[in-house]
Amino acid sequence: MREQQRKDAVWRFLTYAFVITMVVVMMVPLYWMLVAATLPQEQFLQFPPRLIPGTAFLDNFAALQERLDFLRTIRNSVLIAVVYTLLSLVLCSMAGFAFAKYEFKYKEPIFYAILATLVLPIQLLVIPLFLLMAQLEWTNTFRAIILPWAANPIGIFLMRQNMKSIPDALLESARMDGATEFQIFYRIALPTMRSSLAALAIILFLFQWDLFLYPLVILESADMYTIPIGLAQLTGFQRIYYDQIMVAATLAIVPMVVLFLVLQKQFVSGILAGSLKE
Amino acid sequence: MATSDETDERVGETYRRRARMRVRRTTRQIRRAARPAWDRVRFARQDLTAAVPTLPRVAYLFIAPFFVLFGLFLAFPVAYTLYLSFFEYQGVGEGSLFWIDLGPVYIEIPQIAQLSFVGAGNYLRLLGNDLFWQSMFNTSYILAIQVPLMIGLALALALALNASFMRFKGVFRTAIALPVSANLVAYSTVFLLLFNEQLGFLNYVLSGVGLGPVPWLTSEFWARNTIIAAVTWRWTGYNMIILLAGLQTIPQQLYEAAEIDGANRWEKFRYVTLPQLKPVLLFVVVLSTIGTFKLFAEPYVITGGGPTNATITIVQYIYRQAFVNFNLGYASALTVVFVAVVSVFSILQIKLGGED
Amino acid sequence: MTNKPDYARYGRRRLIKGAGIAGLAGLAGCVGTGDPGDGGDGGDGSDGSDGGDGMDGEDGGDGSDGGNDMASEIDVWGWDVAARALTITADEYESENDATIAVEEFGRSAMKDRLQTNLLSGSGAPAVSMLESVDGPSFIDTGSVAPLTDEIEEAGVQEDFVSGKWEALTVDGDIYALPWDTGPTAVYYRRSVYGEHDIDPDSIETWEDFIEEGQKLPDDQYMLNLPEGDLSGVWRYQFRQLSGEPFLESGEVNIHNEKSLRVARNIKEIYDADIAANIEGWTSAWFSAYGDATIASLPSAAWMEGTLRDELPDTAGDWGVFKIPALESGGPRASNWGGSNLMIADQVSDEAQARGWDYMEFTLATEEMQLAMYDEYGLFPALETTYDDPVFDEELDFYDGQAARALFAEVAQDAPGYRFTADTPEVSQAIETELQRMINGEQSPEEAVQAAAETVAENTDRDLA
Repeated sequence: MREQQRKDAVWRFLTYAFVITMVVVMMVPLYWMLVAATLPQEQFLQFPPRLIPGTAFLDNFAALQERLDFLRTIRNSVLIAVVYTLLSLVLCSMAGFAFAKYEFKYKEPIFYAILATLVLPIQLLVIPLFLLMAQLEWTNTFRAIILPWAANPIGIFLMRQNMKSIPDALLESARMDGATEFQIFYRIALPTMRSSLAALAIILFLFQWDLFLYPLVILESADMYTIPIGLAQLTGFQRIYYDQIMVAATLAIVPMVVLFLVLQKQFVSGILAGSLKE
Repeated sequence: MATSDETDERVGETYRRRARMRVRRTTRQIRRAARPAWDRVRFARQDLTAAVPTLPRVAYLFIAPFFVLFGLFLAFPVAYTLYLSFFEYQGVGEGSLFWIDLGPVYIEIPQIAQLSFVGAGNYLRLLGNDLFWQSMFNTSYILAIQVPLMIGLALALALALNASFMRFKGVFRTAIALPVSANLVAYSTVFLLLFNEQLGFLNYVLSGVGLGPVPWLTSEFWARNTIIAAVTWRWTGYNMIILLAGLQTIPQQLYEAAEIDGANRWEKFRYVTLPQLKPVLLFVVVLSTIGTFKLFAEPYVITGGGPTNATITIVQYIYRQAFVNFNLGYASALTVVFVAVVSVFSILQIKLGGED
Repeated sequence: MTNKPDYARYGRRRLIKGAGIAGLAGLAGCVGTGDPGDGGDGGDGSDGSDGGDGMDGEDGGDGSDGGNDMASEIDVWGWDVAARALTITADEYESENDATIAVEEFGRSAMKDRLQTNLLSGSGAPAVSMLESVDGPSFIDTGSVAPLTDEIEEAGVQEDFVSGKWEALTVDGDIYALPWDTGPTAVYYRRSVYGEHDIDPDSIETWEDFIEEGQKLPDDQYMLNLPEGDLSGVWRYQFRQLSGEPFLESGEVNIHNEKSLRVARNIKEIYDADIAANIEGWTSAWFSAYGDATIASLPSAAWMEGTLRDELPDTAGDWGVFKIPALESGGPRASNWGGSNLMIADQVSDEAQARGWDYMEFTLATEEMQLAMYDEYGLFPALETTYDDPVFDEELDFYDGQAARALFAEVAQDAPGYRFTADTPEVSQAIETELQRMINGEQSPEEAVQAAAETVAENTDRDLA
């Protein structure tokens, strides 16, 4: 038994060592970014690079804010991403449920067709898509950004994969109890998917958060800009505003941290493990 | 650990049988627990229930939103790309190409381009183009190393963070997943600085321990690896989150059953975790493969496709043809081929992943 | 395109049927291809050519202005300092005219991506936008840029600009943009470094001299930067210095000729002489290498002065310039690197185009405005008539009292033109790749230019000269 305990301790130590190493690797570039955001532009260019934060964060922020209203930019990005995520969560989990738990005609071809749209490189559809939006007079609107990918194929695929692990018997018993199919979906299936929905929320949020070329051509006025577009304004030809870019990028991480914190609870347990305390 | 394959088989079978029993029991429990809720709604909705369509039609209802949105917004761009791939672009057009009249809503697609029909010419051209094959090779090279590396790391991290003894899970999870939220311009700039040959931090550290400066961005070999490092840095945490969510949907009872049978750590992983996680693992593999196939931004910003085109990716090549050289027809043909290749690749992965 | 069928002849019911066949039955009441018939109920009845209604709406609606047929408000796009320079002339213009000039500033690649989409889709482009000379023909070839030949002729301003600018803006005899600034090229050098190591800029006449003087520097200092990743830029300014043209007038690829080979050899010699650093341009490492004089000289254009002033304020007063070395004794020492123009999008209304031209002419063909932009933002005027201004003879503190502007003005007038085409990006990409292989020792200069020419010929369907 003592042998086993020692083995366990070594195992734990190795696991912690691995996780902590990875955390450090992940954090170094981000730390660098944070430091860069606090330095005046001249010091940013120094070699060897500074490792201790400076005091110019607020100055850099003020310079950034003077160039473009970056707080508004963050607000736009958050608004678009949140609306998109909520809408897409519903649509994706519905479709995923259908693919995981129903048998229907042409199921496989339909699924692979959806998968094929996942492959489409967005950058390359920008021109015809812009044309379409111009005809709808939807340019410079958020809905033009939110709707085209609202039923995100990534989400459908993920929910299909996860919902496969729901035991059929569970659904069958609810069915026998007279629940409608939609009730089965949102009363039985969805609650077991809390951690998957949280992961999907991150995926969807990020998908929208990262979009660049398409919003760039759609959103025309500066008060509609999203974060990537705002940042692209800081890269000129003769001058790249590193200090301001780093401030902007640092601020842009905050909403993601908030998102992780909000979703924290959902990751603690899946239902099959948690809600069945005997 | 020294068990032969046959014993492995038998042990596995035992777990699977036990697991099935556990699930059945679990299901009964859930059913019992859920009953009051159903009683409440059952009577109120009984009429409605009768009106609810039979099963397959519900399924179509559930997947309908995707097709409605796709039909409204993406069908045209996709069809147009396909159409364009048989033409050569000759300049901006005039007049109307296509129009839809819905009464109150009137959509007119102007004929945006003057085109001349070239049949399969664009497709033949890409087959004979060196840079196309070079970009295919680069993409495949990056894919072959980056995807296994990243998924291996992500799976290890997800397992570690799912371990019952692990503390500060939330902090670790957030820290590891945070790179994915770094804005691309900023993260590329940081990587440029870290990997700079003369002045970069990485070579500074390496030379400190007596290793020569590595030409991270200027040698073909290292530039590809720099891209791999950057992509892995940004996306490992993301995949970890997905895998973690997958791990958490595995019923705890399965592990308990395995423990009762005296399974060790490896056996639990091999006979419970892996089979249960397979659908999600497959998802991560397919998604990462597609993601890396679509790699564009990192080489675009970090190496610009250089040196000597060693890091130009297929999407970057297409983008260059469309947005720099204005070869819209040729770029469309490339896009069609690209989508076909990656789709086939993904479907193969799913089939080989032993699904269904 | 195929002939446009007359859909007015078809009944509505017929079209609905067609729509069903097209798989759009659920969406469409009425679908067709080609121009909708005039009997149809399409709201505006106009064709697609004025799709850019986003801004025309405001312009067109203003009938009160009718007298001069010019839109009362237009959008103007530019990036970086150039956009800020335009705000100077916009303010001035607005004070003299009853019009609003809305200048929008973008990041460089952000603006290009967006403008290209807008031009290619015939919708959403501004009336006036900035156009780099190097992009000239590829933008013009899309057919989305309005020709300005008549306007320029009427205004009689063509002779007022440096002659080297026009070639890139002319396609099939029509001119499509008005020159703005130009990039006369010279070598910037750090006086203190040259002084310390006894390098005499006046004695440098050829690249051979330059390399020889460079050997005087210690191992950790470099005579210049020769970055992989911008070899095509270096190749181009030297090729242009020799009046090289990448394509013959009849279209054949001509980048494997004697001049190109001479330049490739020169680049290889500089590289092999170990006097060149290899730091990617415009990165922080690059700036700091110039800041601490790790690199002693910088062949670049007149616009570089503004960047150096901004980025490396501590180095002010330590800079000098001399003409770029000749490739052989007695050879030409003038070239050009970069430069922009203003263009008008064909898709905007005639009124907006008229206003756009009026503003453009005011901004670019007026000495006072060009000088104001030069003074404030360092955009070196392509308007040759400004060079007589005393401001060019000023002895500048930044150059330790050298009258550098006069030198640049001289170079600007001497710099040969260059036949940029829609295939210029192909040339840059091929030269970049092959010259990199050359300096890596994988191939000789002869092989490099030959391989580049073949790649370009293959990718653009042209013949070799």
